[in-house]
Amino acid sequence: MTHAEDILARVGQIPPLPGTVVKLVNVLNDPDSTVNDIVETVKYDQAVTSQMLRLCNSAFFGLSREVHSLNDAMRYLGTVKVLQMVMAVHSNALLAREQAGYGLEPGVLWRHSVAVALAASAFAERINLKNVSLAFTAGLLHDIGKVVLNQYVADAFTEIVQRVTTNRISFSEAEQQVLGFSHEEIGAMVAEKWQLPESIIHCIRYSHEPDRLSPPDGLVDTVYLADCICMLLGVGLGTDGLCYRAEESVMKRHGLNEIDLEIIGAQMMTELKRVEQIFADTSKTSIQAHSVVR
Amino acid sequence: MDLVVDIADVQVTDNPRVDLVTYSLGSCIGVAIWDPEAHVGGMLHYMLPESSLSPEKAKANAAMFADTGIPRLFRSAYELGAVKQRIIVKVAGGSSLLDDNGTFNIGKRNYIILRKIFWKNGILIDSEHVGGALSRTLRLSVATGRVTIKNRNREIEL
Repeated sequence: MTHAEDILARVGQIPPLPGTVVKLVNVLNDPDSTVNDIVETVKYDQAVTSQMLRLCNSAFFGLSREVHSLNDAMRYLGTVKVLQMVMAVHSNALLAREQAGYGLEPGVLWRHSVAVALAASAFAERINLKNVSLAFTAGLLHDIGKVVLNQYVADAFTEIVQRVTTNRISFSEAEQQVLGFSHEEIGAMVAEKWQLPESIIHCIRYSHEPDRLSPPDGLVDTVYLADCICMLLGVGLGTDGLCYRAEESVMKRHGLNEIDLEIIGAQMMTELKRVEQIFADTSKTSIQAHSVVR
Repeated sequence: MDLVVDIADVQVTDNPRVDLVTYSLGSCIGVAIWDPEAHVGGMLHYMLPESSLSPEKAKANAAMFADTGIPRLFRSAYELGAVKQRIIVKVAGGSSLLDDNGTFNIGKRNYIILRKIFWKNGILIDSEHVGGALSRTLRLSVATGRVTIKNRNREIEL
């Protein structure tokens, strides 16, 4: 088996996405869907519902009364928040493991993915996209290819880094040259296998090069910008560092400037700390365990 | 014993058993300060240059911005007995993407404001490791004042 065949076989072996997530993504992608459709989709997922209720009843929200149902949760926290929590819970299982090839310790890829999801939602709102929740989901899944490519990157790491530093190319371009695929391409294949909507597949495939998509797409741009700001602010950086290309055209396309980026960055960081706090409140292990000493 | 300085966080200590450490500095800047006589060490990891972006967020967390975080770092160190004239300052971070047009120049802006604030206050940088497209880990030993930078398993002393 060649290297490339081996990688493709690995894509074929990736476990299916939980049914709830697939349905939810399709509901979100359908412009005619309603809040009821969303409740209907989620309420049959026992595991998520019970975890959701635990999260809603965590000390962080400080609700004056206990939340007993998904409908209650939607009423008190709002549909968007509940949806985000459902997706965050599910993606944790997919993304929480260590990705040593990229120098990402346990929990770090998930943290980065949640950060990109939050920032992508903020950019989607800023440029008036209708579907903010879809931007959240696309952001959450944009690096899924790293889970597949991890071991291959680990094995070829020295060669990849050498190409990055001597040829001044991006980490993805070096992956492509050395392994035959970039993590975006592999991620898009995974999303295709999962039968996710084309809009999300595009967000993953063009997450580092949005200008390759013609005509350009607002949703793809939000994920690209979200990833840029999260990399710049160092949220979940791995050994690939910031070795990706900045594309000026994306900012111009949406009339954005440096300050817009910084505002969204600051907002994302505040929300990320909130999400981490909620998850830390409900599980013994904090996402980033800190030992506090003085 | 490691005391982790998170993103948008500041920590100061006189506990000689502590290493102050901050991970994954991208365009953010890490400032490590140490007073060799008082054996006080401090570290700031700020995200953005100016608090005017969001005075409300700066009030909730001074360490988010350079212009509120740097004064907080130094004042907290003075409270533990550090003296300005003795403090050794080392700086790391300010990275950017592969960016020929300066599209996202947060790293550069973060560095420029640091220089400006230090210049106004007569503070000299002892050594620094800034720029590029690197992710850096910054570590300060409070016992010895030794500062290191780590990037892709390569560690150098600053």
